[in-house]
Amino acid sequence: MNVSVKRIQAILIKDYKEFSRNYAISVMIVFPLLFALLYRSEGSDQAVMYAFVMNFSLAMLTSFVQACLIAEEKERNTLRSLMMTPASMLDVLIGKSSLVFIISAAVLAISTYLFGFDTSNILVLIAGLALSILLYTAIGTICGLYSKSLIEASLAVFPVLIIFTMGPFALVFEEDYPIVKVLNYLPSSQLSELMVALETGAATSELTSPLVIIAIWTVALTVISFVLYKKRLKDY
Amino acid sequence: MNIQAVIVNGQKIIPSLEFDAQKRKVVGIQTNVQRKKILLTQLAEHPDTYLSTVDQGEYMRLTVEELLRFMKNISGHGKPVGVMLKEFQLEEQKRMKIAHLTSSKKAYLSQLRIFYAKQQTIVIEEPYFQLEEQERMLFARMLQELSEDKRVIIMTANLEDALISCDEIYRLDDAGLHLLDIAESENEPPVPVEIEETDLKVQKIPTKKNDKVILFNPPEIDYIESVNSMALVHVGGETYNCALTLAELEERLQHFGFFRCHRSYIVNLQKVRELVTWTKNSYSLRLTTGQDSIVPLSRTKLAELKKLLNI
Repeated sequence: MNVSVKRIQAILIKDYKEFSRNYAISVMIVFPLLFALLYRSEGSDQAVMYAFVMNFSLAMLTSFVQACLIAEEKERNTLRSLMMTPASMLDVLIGKSSLVFIISAAVLAISTYLFGFDTSNILVLIAGLALSILLYTAIGTICGLYSKSLIEASLAVFPVLIIFTMGPFALVFEEDYPIVKVLNYLPSSQLSELMVALETGAATSELTSPLVIIAIWTVALTVISFVLYKKRLKDY
Repeated sequence: MNIQAVIVNGQKIIPSLEFDAQKRKVVGIQTNVQRKKILLTQLAEHPDTYLSTVDQGEYMRLTVEELLRFMKNISGHGKPVGVMLKEFQLEEQKRMKIAHLTSSKKAYLSQLRIFYAKQQTIVIEEPYFQLEEQERMLFARMLQELSEDKRVIIMTANLEDALISCDEIYRLDDAGLHLLDIAESENEPPVPVEIEETDLKVQKIPTKKNDKVILFNPPEIDYIESVNSMALVHVGGETYNCALTLAELEERLQHFGFFRCHRSYIVNLQKVRELVTWTKNSYSLRLTTGQDSIVPLSRTKLAELKKLLNI
């Protein structure tokens, strides 16, 4: 598969125009900003809330948009004619993913600003969020591949939203049900931990463990999404 | 290109074919919907072949100009968007969203993707089915230009559509591809007269469809019926008008094994499979071509037929 920057750019621009004109999908931009304003709080202990807003935004915006972009292309049979052009499947996937990455990064940056989160190490925060965006894009790709239409795609994102966003909150039952401990290793829980550590200004060694776990998730899911993408679209 | 034989439920749908499309010629293949779908799936596997199907979708939220720019960038096509808009005669609609175009324009725009294709062989399914007169003419003209350096194949279930722009038309049935003998009607207006003059030397039956004269070999014909004193020639499930009267046709065809089985029917006896007796006085002939092709047989003609067939 050959990759061309020009073709990726063409797909990115095309998808941006379609995204911005489809209000059912582009309205998702508003939610992270709205949540950031709603939950903003002064002083200490804002990290947990901030992590929730970020996790929610990642599932609701990043995964949802990516899933919809792929599913819509399948629904309207445009993917097949796209495959007839010199554009490779990788061009299409990278084009869509980079659009989603740019939108998510911009929206998360603005909502971080609106929330007013104080961090001790901005670079680690950016790294954690960037990895998470990649991770949720991969999840979105998988959701999109398994749905035939926009409606199916928006439904497929809900389990992701519930498991990943609500996972950290289930940790309350950790003492009653030891099994819940597994949820500690969810990328969303780790992101939450990372932010708590960042707020208290913990040492670098404490910051690495959540980052590494998120990175492992990202690499694993990205690889899975690529493999599935190749496999699902071959017999499409 | 090679097409493999396809057998569905023990019935041969398509025999294996070898087929060579040439440049400078728009080739049409006319066949039924089932065979068309099978052929299209097989053609999709061929390398260097661009397939334009009727169910391909469009990016409805883009404008016409944006879509053409996207196609240009993604295919690496050389011509600027403005030139292409002019060529496609879409300048008036260039700022319109595709969702707001008429359905004819939408189908037309969707099919324009073939002009960006890099592949050497272009296969188009039903190019004219959804188009209105203006787009039909435009598209036919551009297709002619495209065929200068690409192999263009049109797949259609409708012969009339194939007649719009094909230089060569093949009919595909379970026996294979048959080249249809098509002549422009302006070039040969006196065809029926000519045949009468040559006194049965010419063995073709002239028929008309869409101002084109199509000549059939008598063995191809299944049967001929007369509707409102107009002869209708049935060939492979399609009907064609014929200017000759049934009496003239009967005279011309009797040496080819045709039989006047009814006041308004002439049947090709080679294609009769079964003599159906409904009641004591009512008979029909069932043909080999399909379950539903049944030709009435009048009582008076039965004796004659039995004598002819030695039963």
